[in-house]
Amino acid sequence: MPEKTTTQHGASAATLGAGEKFSAYFRNHQMVAVESLAKLLSTPASSLLTWLVIAIALTLPGALYMAVNNLQQLSGHFEASGQMTVFLATDIRETDTNALRLKLGSLDQVNKVVYVSPEQALEEFKEYGGISEALSFLDENPLPAVLLVEPPLGIDKDELNVLVAQIKSFKHVDSVQVDMAWVERLLALLALAQRLVAVVGVLLALAIMLVVGNTIRLSIAARTEEIRVIKLVGGTNAYVRRPFLYTGFWYGAIGGILAWLMLGLCWILLQGPVADIAALYGADFYLQPLPFTPTCWLISSAALLGLLGSWWSVQRHLVAIEP
Amino acid sequence: MVRFDRVSKRYSSGKEALSGVSFELEHGEMAFLTGHSGAGKSTLLKLMMRMEVPTRGEVVVDGSNLSRLREGLVPYHRRKVGVVFQNHQLLFDRSVFENVALPLLIAGTSLKETGRRVRAALDKVGLLGKEKLNPIQLSGGEQQRIGIARAVVNKPALLIADEPTGNLDPELSAEIMNLFSHFQQVGVTVLIATHDIALVERMNKRRLILQNGQMIAGQDFNSGAAHA
Repeated sequence: MPEKTTTQHGASAATLGAGEKFSAYFRNHQMVAVESLAKLLSTPASSLLTWLVIAIALTLPGALYMAVNNLQQLSGHFEASGQMTVFLATDIRETDTNALRLKLGSLDQVNKVVYVSPEQALEEFKEYGGISEALSFLDENPLPAVLLVEPPLGIDKDELNVLVAQIKSFKHVDSVQVDMAWVERLLALLALAQRLVAVVGVLLALAIMLVVGNTIRLSIAARTEEIRVIKLVGGTNAYVRRPFLYTGFWYGAIGGILAWLMLGLCWILLQGPVADIAALYGADFYLQPLPFTPTCWLISSAALLGLLGSWWSVQRHLVAIEP
Repeated sequence: MVRFDRVSKRYSSGKEALSGVSFELEHGEMAFLTGHSGAGKSTLLKLMMRMEVPTRGEVVVDGSNLSRLREGLVPYHRRKVGVVFQNHQLLFDRSVFENVALPLLIAGTSLKETGRRVRAALDKVGLLGKEKLNPIQLSGGEQQRIGIARAVVNKPALLIADEPTGNLDPELSAEIMNLFSHFQQVGVTVLIATHDIALVERMNKRRLILQNGQMIAGQDFNSGAAHA
Protein backbone atom coordinates (compact mmCIF):
# COMPACT_ATOMS: atom_id res chain seq x y z
CA MET A 1 0.00 0.00 0.00
CA PRO A 2 1.87 3.04 -1.17
CA GLU A 3 -0.55 5.48 0.51
CA LYS A 4 0.33 4.13 3.93
CA THR A 5 4.04 4.09 3.44
CA THR A 6 4.36 7.70 2.38
CA THR A 7 4.05 9.09 5.86
CA GLN A 8 6.87 7.03 7.22
CA HIS A 9 9.77 8.43 5.37
CA GLY A 10 11.13 11.25 3.35
CA ALA A 11 8.65 13.87 4.46
CA SER A 12 11.30 15.80 6.34
CA ALA A 13 12.82 17.24 3.20
CA ALA A 14 9.67 18.53 1.59
CA THR A 15 7.80 19.93 4.54
CA LEU A 16 8.55 23.51 5.48
CA GLY A 17 6.36 25.80 7.54
CA ALA A 18 4.59 28.71 5.83
CA GLY A 19 6.83 31.27 7.48
CA GLU A 20 9.94 29.32 6.65
CA LYS A 21 8.73 28.94 3.06
CA PHE A 22 8.23 32.67 2.74
CA SER A 23 11.60 33.55 4.17
CA ALA A 24 13.24 30.92 1.95
CA TYR A 25 11.45 32.45 -1.06
CA PHE A 26 12.53 35.94 -0.06
CA ARG A 27 16.09 34.78 0.54
CA ASN A 28 16.17 33.15 -2.88
CA HIS A 29 14.98 36.38 -4.53
CA GLN A 30 17.63 38.36 -2.71
CA MET A 31 20.33 35.86 -3.60
CA VAL A 32 19.33 35.64 -7.26
CA ALA A 33 19.14 39.44 -7.52
CA VAL A 34 22.67 39.82 -6.20
CA GLU A 35 24.05 36.85 -8.11
CA SER A 36 22.63 37.93 -11.46
CA LEU A 37 24.10 41.41 -11.01
CA ALA A 38 27.45 39.90 -10.00
CA LYS A 39 27.33 37.69 -13.08
CA LEU A 40 26.77 40.71 -15.32
CA LEU A 41 29.63 42.55 -13.64
CA SER A 42 31.92 39.55 -14.03
CA THR A 43 31.74 39.98 -17.83
CA PRO A 44 32.04 43.80 -17.88
CA ALA A 45 32.86 44.18 -21.57
CA SER A 46 29.83 42.40 -23.00
CA SER A 47 27.49 43.71 -20.29
CA LEU A 48 28.63 47.27 -20.87
CA LEU A 49 27.89 46.89 -24.56
CA THR A 50 24.28 45.96 -23.83
CA TRP A 51 24.01 48.70 -21.22
CA LEU A 52 25.31 51.30 -23.66
CA VAL A 53 22.88 50.21 -26.39
CA ILE A 54 20.02 50.60 -23.92
CA ALA A 55 21.37 53.90 -22.59
CA ILE A 56 21.72 55.40 -26.07
CA ALA A 57 18.26 54.20 -27.05
CA LEU A 58 16.89 55.98 -23.97
CA THR A 59 19.01 59.12 -24.29
CA LEU A 60 17.52 60.00 -27.66
CA PRO A 61 13.89 60.38 -26.54
CA GLY A 62 15.15 61.69 -23.20
CA ALA A 63 17.04 64.53 -24.86
CA LEU A 64 14.06 65.34 -27.05
CA TYR A 65 11.88 65.42 -23.98
CA MET A 66 14.33 67.72 -22.24
CA ALA A 67 14.33 70.09 -25.23
CA VAL A 68 10.55 70.20 -25.46
CA ASN A 69 10.29 70.70 -21.72
CA ASN A 70 12.63 73.69 -21.87
CA LEU A 71 10.91 75.27 -24.85
CA GLN A 72 7.59 74.89 -23.09
CA GLN A 73 8.89 76.81 -20.14
CA LEU A 74 10.23 79.47 -22.46
CA SER A 75 6.87 79.87 -24.19
CA GLY A 76 5.19 80.00 -20.80
CA HIS A 77 6.79 83.40 -20.18
CA PHE A 78 5.00 84.88 -23.16
CA GLU A 79 1.81 82.91 -23.13
CA ALA A 80 0.45 84.69 -20.10
CA SER A 81 0.99 88.21 -21.45
CA GLY A 82 -0.92 88.39 -24.74
CA GLN A 83 0.79 91.72 -25.38
CA MET A 84 0.06 93.42 -28.68
CA THR A 85 1.86 95.94 -30.78
CA VAL A 86 -0.23 98.67 -32.40
CA PHE A 87 1.56 100.18 -35.40
CA LEU A 88 0.46 103.73 -36.11
CA ALA A 89 0.17 105.33 -39.52
CA THR A 90 3.44 107.08 -40.51
CA ASP A 91 1.72 110.42 -41.18
CA ILE A 92 0.13 110.67 -37.75
CA ARG A 93 0.47 113.91 -35.85
CA GLU A 94 1.52 114.10 -32.25
CA THR A 95 -1.85 115.32 -30.94
CA ASP A 96 -3.59 112.40 -32.63
CA THR A 97 -1.07 110.04 -31.09
CA ASN A 98 -1.75 111.35 -27.63
CA ALA A 99 -5.50 111.15 -28.15
CA LEU A 100 -5.24 107.59 -29.37
CA ARG A 101 -3.04 106.69 -26.45
CA LEU A 102 -5.61 108.02 -23.97
CA LYS A 103 -8.47 106.35 -25.84
CA LEU A 104 -6.71 102.98 -25.70
CA GLY A 105 -5.86 103.47 -22.05
CA SER A 106 -9.51 104.02 -21.20
CA LEU A 107 -10.62 100.68 -22.64
CA ASP A 108 -11.75 98.05 -20.11
CA GLN A 109 -9.53 95.34 -21.48
CA VAL A 110 -6.36 97.38 -21.48
CA ASN A 111 -4.07 97.53 -18.50
CA LYS A 112 -1.27 99.65 -19.78
CA VAL A 113 -0.26 101.54 -22.89
CA VAL A 114 3.34 102.39 -23.64
CA TYR A 115 4.28 104.78 -26.42
CA VAL A 116 7.41 104.02 -28.41
CA SER A 117 8.42 106.82 -30.76
CA PRO A 118 10.15 106.00 -34.09
CA GLU A 119 13.39 107.38 -32.63
CA GLN A 120 13.17 105.17 -29.57
CA ALA A 121 12.36 102.18 -31.71
CA LEU A 122 15.44 102.88 -33.80
CA GLU A 123 17.66 103.14 -30.74
CA GLU A 124 16.30 99.86 -29.41
CA PHE A 125 16.76 98.27 -32.76
CA LYS A 126 20.37 99.32 -32.91
CA GLU A 127 21.09 97.49 -29.68
CA TYR A 128 20.40 94.15 -31.32
CA GLY A 129 23.59 92.74 -32.66
CA GLY A 130 24.59 93.13 -36.29
CA ILE A 131 21.86 95.45 -37.48
CA SER A 132 23.13 98.88 -36.46
CA GLU A 133 25.58 99.09 -39.34
CA ALA A 134 22.90 98.31 -41.86
CA LEU A 135 20.67 100.97 -40.32
CA SER A 136 23.31 103.66 -40.67
CA PHE A 137 23.00 103.40 -44.44
CA LEU A 138 19.38 104.52 -44.36
CA ASP A 139 18.60 108.18 -44.98
CA GLU A 140 15.58 108.36 -42.79
CA ASN A 141 14.02 106.35 -40.01
CA PRO A 142 11.81 103.67 -41.59
CA LEU A 143 10.17 102.67 -38.32
CA PRO A 144 6.64 103.73 -37.44
CA ALA A 145 5.52 104.91 -34.05
CA VAL A 146 4.22 102.12 -31.92
CA LEU A 147 1.87 101.72 -28.97
CA LEU A 148 2.50 98.67 -26.85
CA VAL A 149 -0.84 97.59 -25.43
CA GLU A 150 -0.98 95.20 -22.55
CA PRO A 151 -4.29 93.47 -21.80
CA PRO A 152 -4.91 92.07 -18.31
CA LEU A 153 -3.21 88.78 -17.48
CA GLY A 154 -5.25 85.71 -18.29
CA ILE A 155 -7.43 87.35 -20.95
CA ASP A 156 -9.06 84.68 -23.03
CA LYS A 157 -8.67 84.28 -26.73
CA ASP A 158 -12.15 85.50 -27.78
CA GLU A 159 -11.91 88.64 -25.68
CA LEU A 160 -8.48 89.26 -27.14
CA ASN A 161 -9.83 88.95 -30.68
CA VAL A 162 -12.65 91.40 -29.93
CA LEU A 163 -10.12 93.83 -28.51
CA VAL A 164 -7.88 93.51 -31.57
CA ALA A 165 -10.81 94.13 -33.92
CA GLN A 166 -11.81 97.17 -31.88
CA ILE A 167 -8.35 98.70 -31.97
CA LYS A 168 -7.98 97.99 -35.67
CA SER A 169 -11.14 100.02 -36.32
CA PHE A 170 -9.64 103.13 -34.74
CA LYS A 171 -8.43 105.95 -36.97
CA HIS A 172 -4.67 106.23 -37.56
CA VAL A 173 -4.09 102.61 -36.64
CA ASP A 174 -2.13 100.92 -39.37
CA SER A 175 -2.03 97.38 -38.05
CA VAL A 176 -2.17 95.36 -34.86
CA GLN A 177 0.11 92.49 -34.20
CA VAL A 178 -0.70 90.16 -31.35
CA ASP A 179 2.42 88.60 -29.94
CA MET A 180 0.27 85.56 -29.15
CA ALA A 181 0.45 84.49 -32.78
CA TRP A 182 4.01 83.27 -32.64
CA VAL A 183 3.45 81.77 -29.19
CA GLU A 184 0.57 79.78 -30.64
CA ARG A 185 2.72 78.61 -33.51
CA LEU A 186 5.45 77.62 -31.07
CA LEU A 187 2.94 75.73 -28.95
CA ALA A 188 1.65 73.89 -32.01
CA LEU A 189 5.22 72.95 -32.90
CA LEU A 190 5.83 71.84 -29.36
CA ALA A 191 2.74 69.62 -29.47
CA LEU A 192 4.17 68.07 -32.61
CA ALA A 193 7.53 67.61 -30.92
CA GLN A 194 5.82 66.00 -27.95
CA ARG A 195 4.12 63.56 -30.28
CA LEU A 196 7.49 62.89 -31.86
CA VAL A 197 8.99 62.15 -28.44
CA ALA A 198 6.18 59.66 -27.81
CA VAL A 199 6.61 57.92 -31.18
CA VAL A 200 10.39 57.74 -30.92
CA GLY A 201 10.03 56.63 -27.31
CA VAL A 202 7.71 53.75 -28.18
CA LEU A 203 9.93 52.60 -31.05
CA LEU A 204 13.06 52.68 -28.94
CA ALA A 205 11.25 50.98 -26.04
CA LEU A 206 10.50 48.12 -28.45
CA ALA A 207 14.15 48.14 -29.51
CA ILE A 208 15.25 47.86 -25.88
CA MET A 209 12.91 44.93 -25.30
CA LEU A 210 14.29 43.19 -28.38
CA VAL A 211 17.91 43.82 -27.36
CA VAL A 212 17.36 42.51 -23.83
CA GLY A 213 15.23 39.62 -25.12
CA ASN A 214 17.92 38.56 -27.55
CA THR A 215 20.69 38.84 -24.96
CA ILE A 216 18.64 36.71 -22.58
CA ARG A 217 17.96 34.20 -25.35
CA LEU A 218 21.70 33.75 -25.80
CA SER A 219 22.30 33.28 -22.10
CA ILE A 220 19.45 30.74 -21.95
CA ALA A 221 21.10 28.84 -24.80
CA ALA A 222 24.42 28.92 -22.94
CA ARG A 223 22.81 27.50 -19.81
CA THR A 224 20.56 24.83 -21.33
CA GLU A 225 22.35 22.03 -19.48
CA GLU A 226 22.04 23.78 -16.15
CA ILE A 227 18.33 24.44 -16.72
CA ARG A 228 17.76 20.78 -17.57
CA VAL A 229 19.49 19.61 -14.39
CA ILE A 230 17.62 22.13 -12.24
CA LYS A 231 14.29 20.95 -13.65
CA LEU A 232 15.36 17.37 -13.08
CA VAL A 233 15.99 17.85 -9.38
CA GLY A 234 12.69 19.64 -8.89
CA GLY A 235 13.23 23.27 -9.85
CA THR A 236 9.94 24.99 -10.70
CA ASN A 237 9.55 27.11 -13.83
CA ALA A 238 9.52 30.18 -11.60
CA TYR A 239 12.81 29.13 -10.05
CA VAL A 240 14.43 28.60 -13.44
CA ARG A 241 13.00 31.86 -14.75
CA ARG A 242 14.07 34.03 -11.84
CA PRO A 243 17.78 34.60 -12.62
CA PHE A 244 16.95 35.53 -16.22
CA LEU A 245 14.26 37.98 -15.15
CA TYR A 246 16.63 39.62 -12.70
CA THR A 247 19.30 39.78 -15.39
CA GLY A 248 16.83 41.56 -17.68
CA PHE A 249 15.90 43.90 -14.85
CA TRP A 250 19.56 44.81 -14.26
CA TYR A 251 20.16 45.35 -17.96
CA GLY A 252 17.26 47.82 -18.02
CA ALA A 253 17.87 49.54 -14.69
CA ILE A 254 21.58 50.15 -15.20
CA GLY A 255 20.98 51.11 -18.84
CA GLY A 256 18.47 53.65 -17.51
CA ILE A 257 20.96 55.06 -15.02
CA LEU A 258 23.56 55.35 -17.77
CA ALA A 259 21.01 57.16 -19.95
CA TRP A 260 20.39 59.58 -17.09
CA LEU A 261 24.13 60.23 -16.82
CA MET A 262 24.33 60.80 -20.58
CA LEU A 263 21.47 63.30 -20.39
CA GLY A 264 23.30 65.00 -17.55
CA LEU A 265 26.37 65.22 -19.73
CA CYS A 266 24.31 66.72 -22.57
CA TRP A 267 22.96 69.27 -20.11
CA ILE A 268 26.43 70.23 -18.92
CA LEU A 269 27.67 70.58 -22.49
CA LEU A 270 24.68 72.60 -23.73
CA GLN A 271 24.06 74.77 -20.68
CA GLY A 272 26.83 77.29 -21.52
CA PRO A 273 25.94 77.84 -25.19
CA VAL A 274 22.21 78.12 -24.35
CA ALA A 275 22.94 80.71 -21.66
CA ASP A 276 25.01 82.68 -24.21
CA ILE A 277 22.18 82.67 -26.73
CA ALA A 278 19.68 83.68 -24.05
CA ALA A 279 21.96 86.57 -23.04
CA LEU A 280 22.12 87.74 -26.65
CA TYR A 281 18.34 87.91 -26.75
CA GLY A 282 18.25 89.54 -23.34
CA ALA A 283 16.13 86.65 -22.07
CA ASP A 284 16.15 85.46 -18.51
CA PHE A 285 16.43 81.80 -19.43
CA TYR A 286 18.72 78.92 -18.65
CA LEU A 287 18.61 75.25 -19.67
CA GLN A 288 16.80 73.06 -17.13
CA PRO A 289 18.18 69.59 -16.43
CA LEU A 290 15.80 66.61 -16.53
CA PRO A 291 13.52 67.12 -13.51
CA PHE A 292 13.30 64.57 -10.70
CA THR A 293 10.00 62.90 -11.62
CA PRO A 294 10.87 62.27 -15.28
CA THR A 295 14.23 60.92 -14.10
CA CYS A 296 12.45 58.41 -11.90
CA TRP A 297 10.20 57.54 -14.83
CA LEU A 298 13.19 57.10 -17.12
CA ILE A 299 15.02 54.70 -14.84
CA SER A 300 12.01 52.71 -13.68
CA SER A 301 10.59 52.32 -17.18
CA ALA A 302 14.02 51.18 -18.38
CA ALA A 303 14.05 48.54 -15.64
CA LEU A 304 10.51 47.52 -16.57
CA LEU A 305 11.43 47.26 -20.27
CA GLY A 306 14.40 45.05 -19.39
CA LEU A 307 12.12 42.87 -17.29
CA LEU A 308 9.50 42.65 -20.08
CA GLY A 309 12.14 41.87 -22.70
CA SER A 310 13.55 39.03 -20.64
CA TRP A 311 10.07 37.79 -19.78
CA TRP A 312 9.17 37.64 -23.44
CA SER A 313 12.37 35.75 -24.22
CA VAL A 314 12.04 33.38 -21.26
CA GLN A 315 8.44 32.53 -22.17
CA ARG A 316 9.54 31.63 -25.68
CA HIS A 317 12.71 29.70 -24.99
CA LEU A 318 12.73 28.42 -21.42
CA VAL A 319 9.52 26.43 -21.52
CA ALA A 320 10.92 24.41 -24.40
CA ILE A 321 13.78 23.05 -22.28
CA GLU A 322 12.59 19.89 -20.56
CA PRO A 323 14.72 17.15 -19.05
CA MET B 1 5.89 3.02 -3.10
CA VAL B 2 5.74 2.56 -6.85
CA ARG B 3 2.90 1.00 -8.80
CA PHE B 4 2.69 0.55 -12.57
CA ASP B 5 -0.74 -0.58 -13.76
CA ARG B 6 -0.87 -1.85 -17.39
CA VAL B 7 1.33 1.00 -18.52
CA SER B 8 1.98 1.53 -22.23
CA LYS B 9 4.08 4.27 -23.75
CA ARG B 10 4.05 5.05 -27.42
CA TYR B 11 6.31 7.85 -28.63
CA SER B 12 5.18 10.26 -31.29
CA SER B 13 7.56 8.48 -33.68
CA GLY B 14 5.18 5.51 -33.39
CA LYS B 15 7.59 3.32 -31.47
CA GLU B 16 5.96 1.53 -28.58
CA ALA B 17 8.58 1.60 -25.81
CA LEU B 18 6.47 -0.08 -23.15
CA SER B 19 3.35 -2.21 -23.51
CA GLY B 20 1.13 -3.29 -20.65
CA VAL B 21 3.75 -3.15 -17.93
CA SER B 22 2.50 -3.80 -14.38
CA PHE B 23 4.54 -4.12 -11.21
CA GLU B 24 4.84 -2.81 -7.69
CA LEU B 25 7.77 -1.83 -5.53
CA GLU B 26 7.27 -2.05 -1.80
CA HIS B 27 8.47 0.68 0.46
CA GLY B 28 12.11 0.20 1.37
CA GLU B 29 12.66 -2.40 -1.33
CA MET B 30 15.68 -2.54 -3.64
CA ALA B 31 15.27 -3.95 -7.13
CA PHE B 32 17.14 -4.09 -10.44
CA LEU B 33 15.66 -3.37 -13.82
CA THR B 34 17.42 -5.25 -16.60
CA GLY B 35 16.91 -5.92 -20.28
CA HIS B 36 18.61 -5.42 -23.62
CA SER B 37 19.21 -1.89 -24.79
CA GLY B 38 16.03 -0.45 -26.22
CA ALA B 39 13.91 -2.73 -24.04
CA GLY B 40 12.31 0.27 -22.37
CA LYS B 41 14.34 0.67 -19.15
CA SER B 42 14.95 4.39 -19.56
CA THR B 43 11.34 5.00 -20.55
CA LEU B 44 10.18 3.24 -17.40
CA LEU B 45 12.42 5.40 -15.21
CA LYS B 46 11.36 8.57 -17.07
CA LEU B 47 7.73 7.74 -16.36
CA MET B 48 8.56 7.57 -12.65
CA MET B 49 10.16 11.03 -12.84
CA ARG B 50 7.20 12.33 -14.83
CA MET B 51 9.62 13.21 -17.63
CA GLU B 52 7.22 11.25 -19.80
CA VAL B 53 3.49 10.58 -19.47
CA PRO B 54 2.08 7.11 -20.17
CA THR B 55 -0.08 6.65 -23.26
CA ARG B 56 -2.25 4.16 -21.35
CA GLY B 57 -2.33 2.89 -17.79
CA GLU B 58 -1.39 4.45 -14.48
CA VAL B 59 1.88 5.23 -12.76
CA VAL B 60 1.55 5.85 -9.02
CA VAL B 61 4.59 7.01 -7.07
CA ASP B 62 4.43 7.70 -3.34
CA GLY B 63 0.66 7.84 -3.45
CA SER B 64 0.26 10.29 -6.30
CA ASN B 65 -1.03 9.31 -9.72
CA LEU B 66 1.46 10.91 -12.09
CA SER B 67 -0.94 11.00 -15.07
CA ARG B 68 -3.26 13.23 -13.10
CA LEU B 69 -0.50 15.37 -11.59
CA ARG B 70 -0.91 19.04 -12.47
CA GLU B 71 1.99 20.45 -14.49
CA GLY B 72 2.77 22.92 -11.72
CA LEU B 73 3.18 20.13 -9.17
CA VAL B 74 5.66 18.09 -11.22
CA PRO B 75 8.72 19.83 -9.66
CA TYR B 76 7.45 18.97 -6.18
CA HIS B 77 7.08 15.34 -7.21
CA ARG B 78 10.66 15.32 -8.52
CA ARG B 79 11.94 16.62 -5.20
CA LYS B 80 10.72 13.40 -3.61
CA VAL B 81 12.63 11.23 -6.06
CA GLY B 82 16.42 11.05 -6.14
CA VAL B 83 17.82 10.25 -9.54
CA VAL B 84 21.26 9.15 -10.73
CA PHE B 85 22.35 9.07 -14.35
CA GLN B 86 25.06 7.29 -16.25
CA ASN B 87 26.39 10.62 -17.52
CA HIS B 88 26.16 12.14 -14.01
CA GLN B 89 24.40 15.36 -15.18
CA LEU B 90 26.74 17.45 -13.08
CA LEU B 91 27.35 21.17 -13.56
CA PHE B 92 30.99 21.90 -14.21
CA ASP B 93 30.77 25.62 -13.58
CA ARG B 94 30.48 25.11 -9.84
CA SER B 95 32.06 23.18 -7.00
CA VAL B 96 31.24 19.69 -5.76
CA PHE B 97 29.52 21.27 -2.76
CA GLU B 98 27.33 23.48 -4.94
CA ASN B 99 26.40 20.55 -7.18
CA VAL B 100 25.23 18.49 -4.25
CA ALA B 101 23.50 21.48 -2.62
CA LEU B 102 21.40 22.23 -5.74
CA PRO B 103 18.24 20.28 -4.70
CA LEU B 104 18.33 21.92 -1.26
CA LEU B 105 18.84 25.35 -2.75
CA ILE B 106 15.79 24.77 -4.95
CA ALA B 107 13.72 23.49 -2.03
CA GLY B 108 14.65 26.58 0.00
CA THR B 109 16.47 24.80 2.81
CA SER B 110 18.27 27.15 5.21
CA LEU B 111 21.97 27.68 4.59
CA LYS B 112 22.99 26.10 7.88
CA GLU B 113 20.88 23.01 7.26
CA THR B 114 22.14 22.85 3.67
CA GLY B 115 25.76 22.81 4.79
CA ARG B 116 25.03 20.09 7.31
CA ARG B 117 23.16 17.87 4.87
CA VAL B 118 25.57 18.31 1.98
CA ARG B 119 28.48 17.31 4.18
CA ALA B 120 26.51 14.33 5.50
CA ALA B 121 25.75 13.22 1.92
CA LEU B 122 29.34 13.70 0.80
CA ASP B 123 30.50 11.81 3.86
CA LYS B 124 28.24 8.88 2.91
CA VAL B 125 29.75 8.65 -0.57
CA GLY B 126 33.29 9.20 0.75
CA LEU B 127 33.98 12.61 -0.83
CA LEU B 128 33.94 14.81 2.24
CA GLY B 129 37.41 16.27 1.65
CA LYS B 130 36.66 17.25 -1.95
CA GLU B 131 33.69 19.57 -1.57
CA LYS B 132 35.55 22.66 -2.79
CA LEU B 133 36.91 21.05 -5.97
CA ASN B 134 35.32 21.30 -9.38
CA PRO B 135 33.76 17.97 -10.47
CA ILE B 136 35.93 18.05 -13.59
CA GLN B 137 38.99 17.48 -11.40
CA LEU B 138 37.57 14.18 -10.12
CA SER B 139 37.58 10.69 -11.64
CA GLY B 140 34.55 9.05 -13.31
CA GLY B 141 33.78 7.00 -10.22
CA GLU B 142 34.01 10.05 -7.98
CA GLN B 143 31.80 12.04 -10.34
CA GLN B 144 29.21 9.29 -10.16
CA ARG B 145 29.35 9.49 -6.38
CA ILE B 146 28.74 13.25 -6.53
CA GLY B 147 25.65 12.41 -8.55
CA ILE B 148 24.56 9.93 -5.89
CA ALA B 149 25.20 12.44 -3.10
CA ARG B 150 23.03 14.98 -4.97
CA ALA B 151 20.30 12.36 -5.40
CA VAL B 152 20.13 11.55 -1.69
CA VAL B 153 20.86 14.94 -0.14
CA ASN B 154 17.15 15.77 -0.01
CA LYS B 155 16.43 12.46 1.78
CA PRO B 156 14.12 11.18 -0.94
CA ALA B 157 11.83 8.24 -0.30
CA LEU B 158 12.67 6.81 -3.71
CA LEU B 159 16.05 6.58 -5.41
CA ILE B 160 16.27 5.59 -9.07
CA ALA B 161 19.42 5.11 -11.12
CA ASP B 162 19.87 4.72 -14.87
CA GLU B 163 23.00 2.66 -15.65
CA PRO B 164 24.91 4.15 -12.69
CA THR B 165 27.91 1.88 -13.32
CA GLY B 166 27.84 2.14 -17.10
CA ASN B 167 31.32 3.59 -17.52
CA LEU B 168 33.00 2.15 -14.45
CA ASP B 169 35.28 -0.83 -13.95
CA PRO B 170 33.95 -3.83 -11.96
CA GLU B 171 35.57 -2.80 -8.72
CA LEU B 172 34.15 0.72 -8.77
CA SER B 173 30.79 -0.67 -9.90
CA ALA B 174 30.65 -2.94 -6.87
CA GLU B 175 31.43 0.02 -4.62
CA ILE B 176 28.63 2.06 -6.14
CA MET B 177 26.18 -0.82 -5.76
CA ASN B 178 27.16 -1.21 -2.11
CA LEU B 179 26.38 2.47 -1.63
CA PHE B 180 22.90 1.90 -3.02
CA SER B 181 22.25 -1.02 -0.71
CA HIS B 182 23.32 1.16 2.22
CA PHE B 183 20.57 3.56 1.30
CA GLN B 184 18.10 0.70 1.13
CA GLN B 185 19.14 -0.28 4.65
CA VAL B 186 18.08 3.15 5.95
CA GLY B 187 14.64 2.78 4.39
CA VAL B 188 14.97 4.24 0.89
CA THR B 189 13.24 2.45 -1.97
CA VAL B 190 15.84 1.83 -4.70
CA LEU B 191 15.39 0.92 -8.36
CA ILE B 192 18.48 0.53 -10.55
CA ALA B 193 18.40 0.04 -14.30
CA THR B 194 21.50 -1.80 -15.51
CA HIS B 195 22.69 -4.34 -18.01
CA ASP B 196 25.54 -5.53 -15.78
CA ILE B 197 24.04 -8.99 -15.20
CA ALA B 198 26.99 -10.35 -13.28
CA LEU B 199 26.76 -7.55 -10.76
CA VAL B 200 22.99 -7.98 -10.40
CA GLU B 201 23.39 -11.67 -9.71
CA ARG B 202 25.97 -11.01 -7.00
CA MET B 203 23.68 -8.49 -5.27
CA ASN B 204 20.94 -11.11 -4.90
CA LYS B 205 17.99 -8.69 -5.15
CA ARG B 206 14.70 -8.75 -6.99
CA ARG B 207 15.06 -8.43 -10.77
CA LEU B 208 12.56 -6.83 -13.12
CA ILE B 209 13.31 -7.89 -16.68
CA LEU B 210 12.10 -5.98 -19.72
CA GLN B 211 12.09 -7.39 -23.24
CA ASN B 212 10.79 -5.39 -26.18
CA GLY B 213 8.75 -3.18 -23.87
CA GLN B 214 7.14 -6.04 -21.96
CA MET B 215 7.98 -7.16 -18.47
CA ILE B 216 8.86 -10.83 -18.74
CA ALA B 217 10.02 -11.50 -15.17
CA GLY B 218 9.97 -10.06 -11.68
CA GLN B 219 6.62 -8.25 -11.95
CA ASP B 220 5.17 -10.22 -9.03
CA PHE B 221 6.67 -9.54 -5.70
CA ASN B 222 7.31 -13.21 -4.95
CA SER B 223 8.23 -14.52 -8.38
CA GLY B 224 11.44 -12.56 -8.71
CA ALA B 225 14.92 -13.67 -7.88
CA ALA B 226 15.57 -14.91 -4.38
CA HIS B 227 14.96 -12.23 -1.83
CA ALA B 228 17.60 -11.11 0.62
